[in-house]
Amino acid sequence: MLTLQNLTTPHPKLPLSGLDVTFEPGKIYTILGRTGAGKTELLRTLIGLDPIAEGAVHLDGKNLDRTPIRARQMAMVYQQFINYPHLDVLANVAFPLRRKKVNKIDALARAREALELVGLAEFETRKPSELSGGQQQRVALARAIVKHARILLMDEPLANLDYKLREQLREEFPRLLEKNSDGIILYTTTEPGEAMQLGDELIVMHEGRIVAKGDPGELFENPPSIEVAQVISDPPISICAGEVKNGHLYFNDGSAVDETSLSLGADGPVRIGIRPDALTIGGDIPAQVTLAEFSGSDTIVHLRLPFGEAVMLVDGIREYSPGVKFGVSLETSALLLFSQAGGNITERTG
Amino acid sequence: MLKPKHFFLLPALLTLVAIILFPLIFTVRVSFSSWDVYQAGLDYIGGRNYTRVFEDTRFWESLLRLSSLSFITVTLQYVIGFALALAVWKQMKGGRIFRVLFLVPMMTTPVVMSVIWRTMLHESLGPANDILSAFGIGPVPWLSSAAGAFVSVVIVEVWQWTPFMFLLLFAGLVSLPREPYLAAAIDGAGPVRTFWQVTFPLMAPISIGALIIRLIEASKIMDTVYILTSGGPGTATETPSYYIYIRGLRDFQVGYSAALSLTYLVLMIITLTIIAKLLMRFLVGKDA
Amino acid sequence: MTRTYNTIKYLFLLAWSIFVVFPFLWALSTSFKDANAVTSGARYLPWVEFEPSLQGWQSLFASGSRGINIITPFFNSATVTLLASVISLVLGTLAAYGLSRYKFKLGFIKNADITFFFISQRIMPPIVLAIPFFLMLKEIRALDTIAGLVIVYIALLLPIAVWVMIDFFASIPKELDEMAMIDGCTPIGAFFRVVLPNSLAGLVVAGMFCLIFGWNDFFFAFTLTFTETQLLPVAIVSLNSSVTPWWSLSAFALISVTPLALVAIVVERFMSRGSLAGAFR
Repeated sequence: MLTLQNLTTPHPKLPLSGLDVTFEPGKIYTILGRTGAGKTELLRTLIGLDPIAEGAVHLDGKNLDRTPIRARQMAMVYQQFINYPHLDVLANVAFPLRRKKVNKIDALARAREALELVGLAEFETRKPSELSGGQQQRVALARAIVKHARILLMDEPLANLDYKLREQLREEFPRLLEKNSDGIILYTTTEPGEAMQLGDELIVMHEGRIVAKGDPGELFENPPSIEVAQVISDPPISICAGEVKNGHLYFNDGSAVDETSLSLGADGPVRIGIRPDALTIGGDIPAQVTLAEFSGSDTIVHLRLPFGEAVMLVDGIREYSPGVKFGVSLETSALLLFSQAGGNITERTG
Repeated sequence: MLKPKHFFLLPALLTLVAIILFPLIFTVRVSFSSWDVYQAGLDYIGGRNYTRVFEDTRFWESLLRLSSLSFITVTLQYVIGFALALAVWKQMKGGRIFRVLFLVPMMTTPVVMSVIWRTMLHESLGPANDILSAFGIGPVPWLSSAAGAFVSVVIVEVWQWTPFMFLLLFAGLVSLPREPYLAAAIDGAGPVRTFWQVTFPLMAPISIGALIIRLIEASKIMDTVYILTSGGPGTATETPSYYIYIRGLRDFQVGYSAALSLTYLVLMIITLTIIAKLLMRFLVGKDA
Repeated sequence: MTRTYNTIKYLFLLAWSIFVVFPFLWALSTSFKDANAVTSGARYLPWVEFEPSLQGWQSLFASGSRGINIITPFFNSATVTLLASVISLVLGTLAAYGLSRYKFKLGFIKNADITFFFISQRIMPPIVLAIPFFLMLKEIRALDTIAGLVIVYIALLLPIAVWVMIDFFASIPKELDEMAMIDGCTPIGAFFRVVLPNSLAGLVVAGMFCLIFGWNDFFFAFTLTFTETQLLPVAIVSLNSSVTPWWSLSAFALISVTPLALVAIVVERFMSRGSLAGAFR
């Protein structure tokens, strides 16, 4: 069990502040957050690469502050493909075992096994530089899982791969990580889809703090705050200003929102979260396209609506030039309500 | 507590401190003494040596001479070195042979080559005057006239150290990004305009580095002068290093030469810092 | 336009090449002359303009008073240069690695100041150190010895090694050494097992510069030795001051500069591959 107590770091730009969290063995934790949220800093601090200002990290009750990096029983996969350029693939994977004084024959046998698992058995005599990016990252992964570390840290391992390789490796991860299934796996990413798919538990980070922790599906359905809402969905949930007046919900341009599926609180200003799939083309809300981009097999359309800016997800590849106008409709049963302070105050009827 | 990081740094740091710092502190102390060939020892005579430095016109003249010598040789080295680097930059036949050849002089021992240059500049027996006579130019008193000796030192310094400029500038050219050149080609810029608008600005940081390194080295010039002219004729090519050498290790005026050394060192550091700042402003357009 | 430009370019390259090569060719030609050929004015081509003689080369290897001892100075130069280069390279590489990976602080002194202390030694004119070195070596009875010169040359070469290696290590991602530590190395182990084996290019460049500046030094060898420990440049210069036998002088000079002139081939390779650029920013 890995416990963080009020973990705070002195990092000059992205300090972690007051992290309190417990990780249990046998689970994959995905850590979701934007670039600069402190994900990498968290992993680096856990493994001992970055210093701690306050608080502590405990592994099974033992404070790690005096434990050198090499004795922390952790493995790490970096976002960059880090392998030892002077060693061939097999020697790369056997390296951590040899440092643990495993004899050469056993170390090579286990390294071969790990290479088999990541599908690089026939490349064992190559140098890392003679491999593709995806293969290099597989070598790094093999080197991380071969030592059966108690804790496996993966820092955006797919971020530097192209789309196709990313999809492919992501599909394989559950199988590859099975070997480590009795350990704790921390996996950071900026992609909500990846976090949802791989994580047994999801942790959302924002500006050096943990802002949510829980079941991925639940957090997605009901993000506890605006901060979480904005990173948990890709494309992001749009936030517009609104108001509850006399028990009815309005956007700030005065247009009423059908609030039948929601139970509203006291009168006052609120913020309304619109999921990208809550908007559909065809309806009476006038919309103007400001930008359209493709993401995989979908099109993400940025719209200017009478009450603010919002993002809409459209199936398939469609061309929308900026400036095009059309009407959209809003699926109000999927709306989220937040207080001015950012807390989730959505309550559904029935 | 001794940490791994100390294992890395301390051996070198302590070695250098031991070798350099003690002699330097010792020099400071000696410069306030009257230590000379008649009386060795660390008495204290206050700043008298420094007053003497101040009034020593031979020293100040040598500094002035050093400034013009450094300026002329380094400028020539930079211009020629840059031209050579540009000329063999792009793929060309025999490029490799040229490049190796252009590097060779800097690998050779300056004093040894100066010995050879002395034979070449010999007034009656050397090839320099022999070749010039073929063009009807009368025998040049290379090493026996003030101007000739100065020019000789310049020629040998340019021969010896232009390769260093070439090395730094060529290495810089090889590492330049390609995109600005594509952009310039699309704009239809000719080779001259491309040079002034793309290459030269991109090379500015490397140029500054190369110029400063060469100025530092040139300001220490001593070996070539010692062999070629021994500072002569008279004191026509005497540099501060050579003058201090005469005072310190020939006349053995240890105290006085220590004062000269320190004055020279401080002046050099100040001047080079100012030059570095000026170059930075001139070539990059911003402060260091 | 391009044609004229190319012609000018090749003429320029050719002219400079002749200028570069000429002293070597002159020395080569002179080394085969005898007194007659030297004193009758400038002669260039053997057989055509003068009768070649092996006198110059023979004198280098002849024994006894007629000969010039070249073996001992050559051996001395090689020993001093190699020893000082290796020591400087080892110490300099360690220090450069420390400075590039760890933060040091001693009062107001930080990494940048320590780095500056190392590199700024290149500004120090040899003459400033020569007199205290002279007195210091005299004190420890190391004047006119190989050991004394090695100590002095370390001061000369260590800054070069630190300077080249600091920039080299900056180009090696720190994640590499971190990974080694995660994989079970101590910080020192990470350096030796992972960083050092990947630093060959930097070590070669730094080593070459140490060799060049060590081999080519004259001033310290000249002021800190007398007769016991003569280095090559000093031996050649001492020939120069006696009744100048140009033929021996030239042969001697050629032998002395040839080993390092060959280094140019290696330097060119590094320069053209672009692996030197980082070292000089």
